[in-house]
Amino acid sequence: MHFGGIYEDETVGKVYDRRLMGRFFAYVLPYRRMLVTALLVLPFIAATKLAQPWIIKVAIDDHIVKGRMEGLPALAAAFLAVIFAESILMFTQVYLLQWVGQRVMYDIRVRLFSHIQRLSTRFFDQTPVGSLVSRLTSDIEVLGEMFAAGIVTVVGDILVLAGIVGIMLWMNVRLSLVTFSVLPVLIWVAFAFRKWMRLAFRQVRARQANLSAFLAESIGGMAVVQLFNRERDEAKEFQRLNASYVEANLPVITWDAALYAVVESLSSVAVALIIWYGGGEIVKGTLSFGSLVAFIQYIEKFFSPIRDLSAKYSIMQGAMASLERIFALLDNQDREPGALPATERTAGAAPACEGSPADGLRSICFNDIWFAYKERDYVLKGFSLQMKRGEKVALVGETGGGKTTVTRLLSRLYDVERGTITIDGTDIRELPLPALRKRIGVVLQDPYLFSGTIAYNISLGDPEALKRVEQAAAVVGADRFIRELPKGYEEEVRERGVNFSAGERQLISFARAVAFDPEILVLDEATASVDTASERLIQQGLEGLMQGRTTLVVAHRLSTIRDADRIVVIHRGEKAEEGTHAELMAAQGLYYRLYQLQFKD
Amino acid sequence: MRNRRGAYLLGALLLVGTNLCGLAIPWLLKLAIEALQAPAKAGYTPAQYGAMIAAAAVAQGIIRVFSRTTLLNAGRRIEYELREDLYAKLLTLDRTYFSNWRTGDILSRLANDLTNVRMLLGFGVLSLLNTVVIYTASLILLTRISPFLTLCSVLPFPIMILIVKQMSASMFRISKRTQEALARLTTRVEENVSAAAVVRAYCREDGEIESFGAVCDSYSEASMAMAKIRGLMLPVMAATGAIGTLVILFVGGNQVIRGELTLGGFVAFNGYLAMLVWPTIMFGWILNLVQRGAASMTRLSEILNALSQVVEPEQPVDPGHIKGEIEYRNLSFSYGSAEMLRGIDLKIARGARIGIVGVVGSGKSTLVRMIPRLFPVADGSLFIDGIDLNRLPITRIREAVGFVPQETFLFSRTIAENIGYGKPGATREEIERAAQIAGLSGDLTRFPQGLDTLVGERGVTLSGGQKQRVSIARALIKEPSILILDDPLSAVDADTEEEILSALSGYYGKRTVLIVSHRLSPLRNCDRIIVLEQGSIVEEGSHAELLDLGGRYAAIHREEQLKAEIERL
Repeated sequence: MHFGGIYEDETVGKVYDRRLMGRFFAYVLPYRRMLVTALLVLPFIAATKLAQPWIIKVAIDDHIVKGRMEGLPALAAAFLAVIFAESILMFTQVYLLQWVGQRVMYDIRVRLFSHIQRLSTRFFDQTPVGSLVSRLTSDIEVLGEMFAAGIVTVVGDILVLAGIVGIMLWMNVRLSLVTFSVLPVLIWVAFAFRKWMRLAFRQVRARQANLSAFLAESIGGMAVVQLFNRERDEAKEFQRLNASYVEANLPVITWDAALYAVVESLSSVAVALIIWYGGGEIVKGTLSFGSLVAFIQYIEKFFSPIRDLSAKYSIMQGAMASLERIFALLDNQDREPGALPATERTAGAAPACEGSPADGLRSICFNDIWFAYKERDYVLKGFSLQMKRGEKVALVGETGGGKTTVTRLLSRLYDVERGTITIDGTDIRELPLPALRKRIGVVLQDPYLFSGTIAYNISLGDPEALKRVEQAAAVVGADRFIRELPKGYEEEVRERGVNFSAGERQLISFARAVAFDPEILVLDEATASVDTASERLIQQGLEGLMQGRTTLVVAHRLSTIRDADRIVVIHRGEKAEEGTHAELMAAQGLYYRLYQLQFKD
Repeated sequence: MRNRRGAYLLGALLLVGTNLCGLAIPWLLKLAIEALQAPAKAGYTPAQYGAMIAAAAVAQGIIRVFSRTTLLNAGRRIEYELREDLYAKLLTLDRTYFSNWRTGDILSRLANDLTNVRMLLGFGVLSLLNTVVIYTASLILLTRISPFLTLCSVLPFPIMILIVKQMSASMFRISKRTQEALARLTTRVEENVSAAAVVRAYCREDGEIESFGAVCDSYSEASMAMAKIRGLMLPVMAATGAIGTLVILFVGGNQVIRGELTLGGFVAFNGYLAMLVWPTIMFGWILNLVQRGAASMTRLSEILNALSQVVEPEQPVDPGHIKGEIEYRNLSFSYGSAEMLRGIDLKIARGARIGIVGVVGSGKSTLVRMIPRLFPVADGSLFIDGIDLNRLPITRIREAVGFVPQETFLFSRTIAENIGYGKPGATREEIERAAQIAGLSGDLTRFPQGLDTLVGERGVTLSGGQKQRVSIARALIKEPSILILDDPLSAVDADTEEEILSALSGYYGKRTVLIVSHRLSPLRNCDRIIVLEQGSIVEEGSHAELLDLGGRYAAIHREEQLKAEIERL
């Protein structure tokens, strides 16, 4: 059997993409003053670097060779001053660049986070949490590396290189030309290196991707591998991919080593050339000893920034890949819906939803709703429901019948495909999302708790809700257990609330809904059974929660359906039955059976 | 490590070689300058010295390439072997490990931790050896030129070491703070994304953005503190190096003037001292590599040292072919602190068809997973053909079992390859037949390339029911003596279920068949049905017997009838 498909795909990334860099530059632009300052420091750093060999030259030529001690201390002091200046300038420059880097990372991170906040619920259904987390963390970290690793200081390196060439030419044209005769070799090697390195890097990345894909799949399907006695084959295939990955790395190592060695040797050769030719000049008296020493030191400074070229290269490549992923997410336009202009309204409220808000009738109206999560696979097919203000309606039905969907559509986590939902006669699509959602309090089936204090979990950081935290907790009866905690409302919630019981977690989520004081309450009851203590807690909490609010509840508990003003049975996306508990039981229809199945213990 | 000692030794020798060439250059410089000053006393002409320097440079370069490739390749080779060993170990581990370790965790160990170890064994070793060689050689040569000057110029080094030590202590503190801030940031994002519905329901988007900004701020701040200390490190290093130069300039200059030192010696001294600066700066980095590498190696060792509880028997009993008789004798199994199975006694004759029902968590899947030894079994509690399962070679029993797991797993390969996975070297006809019995024929005609359609992310996304049927075909092609179906038809509709069940009943023959299900319909043709509750067998008998009993089974049956009635309405 051969292994085809996914493992053979060769994916590649660019090292420099002008389009991506252009977009990235837009984020750097606000900090141009800092960046320019950092760049302005560069010539001064270059100057201090260039000055050091020069001072040595003067010391040798004017003092040491001539045997003149006076003035040497002054030169030593000057040397020290130059070094201190270099240190301070280097620090300033590194600090400024890191500062810009951190600001840019901050901006992109917050921008990306804000963008994600506006994306649709469908987007979150389809996107794994982990991939979003890595976009906002590791991918952005890589961008920071670009600033930290001195990609920007390449400009400075070039300045130093140009300065060295200039000074050397000024000092002695012929000796400089002789020395620089090694440069064509260096330039050729650097270009060849770039070309080969790109190819080699591509191979490495592609094979690494294959290896990781295989590994991820293999670990996920380990039980199958073991059940079918296929360990040996899998090991063989793994070995092949592993070996091909290592092999792809070997040229990279060789090229890197070659570059390093060539740079090192060329700098030695250049020094040798200086000695050979410069030596002759000294004998002829056309070159001083000091100049010779300075030449040697300059040429050493010339070669040092070229040595870590390959490290910079791989950082650049990583940054490009990250930018690509970050911008792809920023370009995702699967946004939450906005409000429709009132002119596009579908001929006012539909006929079935008459009644003005003033008389408090039919405050919520679902009219002939059609909806599908996946194309054409309709979950709701012409569902209709009217609710009066203050009414408590329980939705009952089989799992997957569309109960939860009804509640999601009301708060516009999704938009209906056909039909209208109105609140007090206004199509909910004409309301701005915040205005709509402020009126509706949602309690989800799974009471999600954030890390933070209890007070934070009830208010979610909203200043208005924060004022009502204790009051809200009292309404649902959560105050009793909260007060008994060592730190009360300031008690920290650990990982998703493991330090609280299921009932307590429910009560915190009830209190959250009350703290936001909505006029309409949408409640998806938890299906999981809880212990009797928790059950009693929840029971009391619910009463406080629903007090005086129009309530739509997906019911899983006996007491809830008994307390409801009306029960609506959803079957296959349609309203099948409707009435009070007694009426529906008497009818002996669908509800009668569901009741036996779901609510009888 | 193991077989790489030779490579490291060679690498070390090559490093000595390349560095000797490198170190010879300043010495040749010294001689050359001395020759310039006093041509009469010199052994060679300056031009000859130039040629020698060039030769040394070329040799240095050539040996450098070999030293770096030898050591770095050795690092890569060890990484390769480690990865191989890690994977080989993973292949032997039983289910308990894979439920404890999340896939993401294992993958991150195999990627990040392995990289850290490789960095230590490649660049780390290379830099360490390089530093040692250069230090030793330079100090010897420096002392030869001028012991007094050497003493003067290495004076700043202890100060530098002290400063670096001080700095790395605060660096460690700040880096920990940065890591914590990053962890908070990550948690923040994770919670926000996981609770997207809550955030929207309460219109907290803007509040979330604001508080995320605050978290980012504190992370930026910590990072800046880190940048500051790193920024300080660089000039400090450079300055100490330069102060050495200053000392030579002053003291050495004086010596030259007084004639105690030649100008050549002066220049060479300068050159050697410059060579020491870089390895000294590297030293902090090497320490960091060593620490990180060691921490990562510990994490890898956790995998390498994991002991599978499912191991080959020391004295195996190999009956050759397994007929398919199964007997549980008072079998209990605990997983963590949870008791999954308690005192199971069950005898299944060859060719029997057994149904197993129970609610979620009753232990029905665990019961059947014991047979192919996906979980460890205590000695004397499970017998196949009268032989203790723990005495049978693992491959022998797994060969005999066709297992369709509850969670369908298919490889990102073609459908034919996925089915053929059950029988290496299966012919096209065999694959087609298995696909047919599993009820796949109809679906296959609708796929672009039929059996050769690629499955998974890069290929066609199969429905849950289609995946289940490929998984069934994969088990059938094996022609097993024992066929275990763990809730195999949960994702297919009633008609398809009917079709597959009747095709399967023609296939069963003399095979022992165990079907686990949370519904009763797939168990229709079973001779005997076992009802499990909290890990124990509570009821046992034929469909009719169990109905008469009026217990758990009858209750499940009633519920299903109600559901069916609701469906019909």
